[in-house]
Amino acid sequence: MTEWRYLRTLYRGARLWNAAAYLLLALTWGAGIGLLALSGWFITATALAGAGLLLALDIFTPSAGIRAAAIVRTVARYGERVVGHEAVLRILARLRGHAFAAIARLPAEHQRALRSGDLQQRLTGDIDTLDAIPLRVTGPMVAAVLAVLVAAALAIALAPAGAALLILGTAAMTLAAAMAAARQGRKPGRELVRAHTRERIALLDYFGGLADLLAYGHLSDHQDALHRQAQAQARRRLSRERVVILAEQGVQLLVTLAALAMLGLCLHWYLQGVISAPVAVLLSLLTLGLNEALAGLPGAWWQVGESLEAVRRLQALAPGEPAPTPRPEDARPPSPADHGPPEHQVRVHRLAVGFDPRRPILEDLEFTLEPGRPLVIDGASGRGKSCLLDTLAGELPPLSGDIRLGDRSLASWPEHVRYQYIGYLPQETVLLDDTLAFNLRLGRADLDDRTLWAALRQVGLADALRDQGRGLDDRVGEQGHRLSGGQARRVALAWLMLRDSPVALLDEPFSGLDADTETRVLEGLVPWLEARRAVIVTHAPARLPGHWPRMTL
Amino acid sequence: MYPHRRWLHGAWIAGLGAGLATVAVAGLVAHLIHGTLFAPGDTALLPPLILAMAAAVLRHGLQAVRDGCGQRLALAVQGDLRARLIASAGHTGPVRMAHRGHAGQWAGRYQDQVEALGGYYARYVPARLLTVLVPAVILATIFRLDWLAGALLLLSTPLIPAFTALIGMGTEQVHMRQQEEQNRLAGHFLDRIRGLDLLRRSRALASAQMDVAEAADRYRRLTLRVLRVAFLSSAVMEFFSAVAIGLVAIYVGFGLLGFVEFGPAPGLTLFTGLFVLLLAPEYFSPLRRFAQTYHDRAGALAAAQALAPLVDQGAASARAPAWDRHHQGPLLRLEHVTVRHEPDAPATIRDLSLDIHPGDMLALAGPSGSGKSTLLAVCAGFMGIEQGRISARPEARAFAWIGQRTHLFHGSVRDNLRLARQTSASDRQLEAALEAAGLPVDDPALPDGLETRIGEGNRGLSGGQAQRVALARALLSGSRLWLLDEPTNALDPLTEEALLDTLFHHASSRKITVLMATHQPNVLARFPRILHLPAGSVRENGRD
Repeated sequence: MTEWRYLRTLYRGARLWNAAAYLLLALTWGAGIGLLALSGWFITATALAGAGLLLALDIFTPSAGIRAAAIVRTVARYGERVVGHEAVLRILARLRGHAFAAIARLPAEHQRALRSGDLQQRLTGDIDTLDAIPLRVTGPMVAAVLAVLVAAALAIALAPAGAALLILGTAAMTLAAAMAAARQGRKPGRELVRAHTRERIALLDYFGGLADLLAYGHLSDHQDALHRQAQAQARRRLSRERVVILAEQGVQLLVTLAALAMLGLCLHWYLQGVISAPVAVLLSLLTLGLNEALAGLPGAWWQVGESLEAVRRLQALAPGEPAPTPRPEDARPPSPADHGPPEHQVRVHRLAVGFDPRRPILEDLEFTLEPGRPLVIDGASGRGKSCLLDTLAGELPPLSGDIRLGDRSLASWPEHVRYQYIGYLPQETVLLDDTLAFNLRLGRADLDDRTLWAALRQVGLADALRDQGRGLDDRVGEQGHRLSGGQARRVALAWLMLRDSPVALLDEPFSGLDADTETRVLEGLVPWLEARRAVIVTHAPARLPGHWPRMTL
Repeated sequence: MYPHRRWLHGAWIAGLGAGLATVAVAGLVAHLIHGTLFAPGDTALLPPLILAMAAAVLRHGLQAVRDGCGQRLALAVQGDLRARLIASAGHTGPVRMAHRGHAGQWAGRYQDQVEALGGYYARYVPARLLTVLVPAVILATIFRLDWLAGALLLLSTPLIPAFTALIGMGTEQVHMRQQEEQNRLAGHFLDRIRGLDLLRRSRALASAQMDVAEAADRYRRLTLRVLRVAFLSSAVMEFFSAVAIGLVAIYVGFGLLGFVEFGPAPGLTLFTGLFVLLLAPEYFSPLRRFAQTYHDRAGALAAAQALAPLVDQGAASARAPAWDRHHQGPLLRLEHVTVRHEPDAPATIRDLSLDIHPGDMLALAGPSGSGKSTLLAVCAGFMGIEQGRISARPEARAFAWIGQRTHLFHGSVRDNLRLARQTSASDRQLEAALEAAGLPVDDPALPDGLETRIGEGNRGLSGGQAQRVALARALLSGSRLWLLDEPTNALDPLTEEALLDTLFHHASSRKITVLMATHQPNVLARFPRILHLPAGSVRENGRD
């Protein structure tokens, strides 16, 4: 199974922690079994001694053993919890790093899929499911095998081979049931996850399209469909839970019956004089104690199907081996020497853009970006302006035609060099949940605070921030929500200006700004744009200098 | 939960029965061992063994029934809650629903929050009573056998919740101190995935990669700091149960040897000793199960908080709108209508009277919050009214609705258009409607024509194009009444004008009655009559 191989590579980093957690779990169970079995042995032996049937009995060693078992049980349980979660969280860290690295290596057009909020949520959810597999599924299996082997070894030492065979047979049946459950559970698990996705789509349509459903009289059809889906999903859940419950109680029953059989067998041997009575009780309680170790196995393995579905999705998104640690020079700020070809000329020749070669959105575009003469593009939305900027930035391959940057075609520049020449401010403002300084310094770790403040002044934000008592080290909040929409937009503008790239592409740079602010921002922005080659997309071209060339789509 | 009590009762009865069967198994085993050792001649091995096996079958069968009943209870409660959510969304109507969260949030509440209640009903609720009942039965048995052993177990019991509560407080303290940072680090990965494009354009992907790994590592350290304290409670649980079992064993052993002179100890036999020993772990096992289900409760409480507004609002929407659907006057007549969003909120619309005649074109103007959208929702029947009367001609029942952002349903463009027509329309009619709405079927935005799939977030169509699909739907529906809730609000000025041109062209050539909420002067200028809210006065346009 390729999913398992993939998981093994992910879990490699936490192997020692996992092994320690498994051992501690086995020790916890072992101490529990030992406590009960030793107590049984002790009570039986003292009863015989009290009745004068046993002549010499060392009472201190077993009672010390009972105390030791009680303490080991406590400490091992605590250790197993802490160490196990240490392993889980290490795996989580590794999974996140690995998934992010793998996604970062994808070409830009593949990453587009990840702009969907639902997919982002699912990816995060999948990762959170995977980190617990060692703790919930593999761990108990390994620890149970260890506990069973120790129990069987004890049985061999104390009694005829039949006792050990009984223990091993019971364990083998349980493990076989767990494996069968894992195989059988895959399909229902997958079906459950897929039905969940289908239901989510139907719900988004219901809640999002409520007005249309009411207006056009489709409300009750949709409600009925949702009810049917909910009922089918409840049936699936019930049958899953039924298997889990039956497996758990079935295994407990199996182990209890084995313990009773062991009791019968041992008492029979006792009557024949093969073993002593305390040992007979000890072996029976030992078998009974395996309950704790074995009962949860088949249920946990039955649910593995759902986790494997998550593995498959993650694998599809982030395939292959974990990425090597990034080399430091990849992260280095651009130095003047790298500043690209002597002429950062941008020439567009017979360009067609769009997503589908059969239906280009824009065709036959022909222009050259001149320094000092930014190109202003306007036109109604949906005419492909954003699509054109994505193509000019090299994030979307042209459907036909040619874009040249310097003396080479745009696509032939490696990505990190391309973004050194091209600064791109897209229509939607994205900020990271970190400090203001962090956001401004992205990719330009070399900038000092003075430079950052100067850029904030240029976009008319410095005074407003100072008035509010905010500084560079204040957090902008998740998706920038601690800033107003206009403030966030201006932070993004400052980010663009700090990049100081010879080519700049701006998509609706003033959206969310009121007229006064826009005027203030323009004061700083116009000379900045005239100092480079730029394309600026806007609905309000009238506010930009009249001598800049224009193109209406 | 009340209609599903039978499942809860079933779980209780089965759980109690399983407890009794457990006592029986322990007693039979103790009896068998005692008999074999001290009266070997009189004790047959097989009959008690088979009886014990039968009791074990009963025990685990009943436990399966107990857990199955718990699951049934959870699924029944969840099913009810989901049905209620769906129905109440229909009553509440799109306008008020949108106030309370976007579609994704509602879908999350329906699926995830309701799911989070599962463990609470399946395990925690049945366990609450059984955690008292089953140990009580076992303890009573032990007291009858040997009260001193019973007292040992009983004394250790209150210590467990006491220490657990102490540890819980300690955990809370650690958690509070670092909650904010912990939450932020938990969301760090998602945040950076959202920022992928930004990171790529900043040439910061490589450093972000290290950043993600570092944040995950910091998250691990913070979380473990909390867990190291929290896990003490499971250690306490183990400690007291293990020590209690060990104490019982040592007490019984020394009693059997005759070292304990007081109380019931001299009367101890192997039978009572083994019986007590076998019952001791069973005494603690419901407590342990309960401790494990305790986090189900925390999850359920959080979920219940998110779901509560929906359950409470039942009363607000229950009021039936005073609709008269068969009158013969104007198309729509509102008399002294008063509307409130919430029962104790100030009235959004107060004592409004209005006549709308066929072919009227009326703009609803006013600042945001003045009740424009509310009035439209009332005319659509999406919202009940508190006072007053609404009369409508039968043809006002069929109306077309276009909101700020049109929702496009998952499926093809054809599916989306067919929604508006009860009888199926031919492809030619659909294409004609699209053409009339200004989105011809050979537009680049529709690469597969009517077959073009529209996915999440209206993928592939711009906001203006989505509004045009909505307009095509309105045209197809043949409705004589259009209710438009700021349909061009999310569009840029150029797109807005183009869409309004198309809209007005069709409305006036087909003599359609139009009510449109808007606050933009350029849109208002197109209407002959304007209703100003919150005042409620109608003015002819151009004469203030």
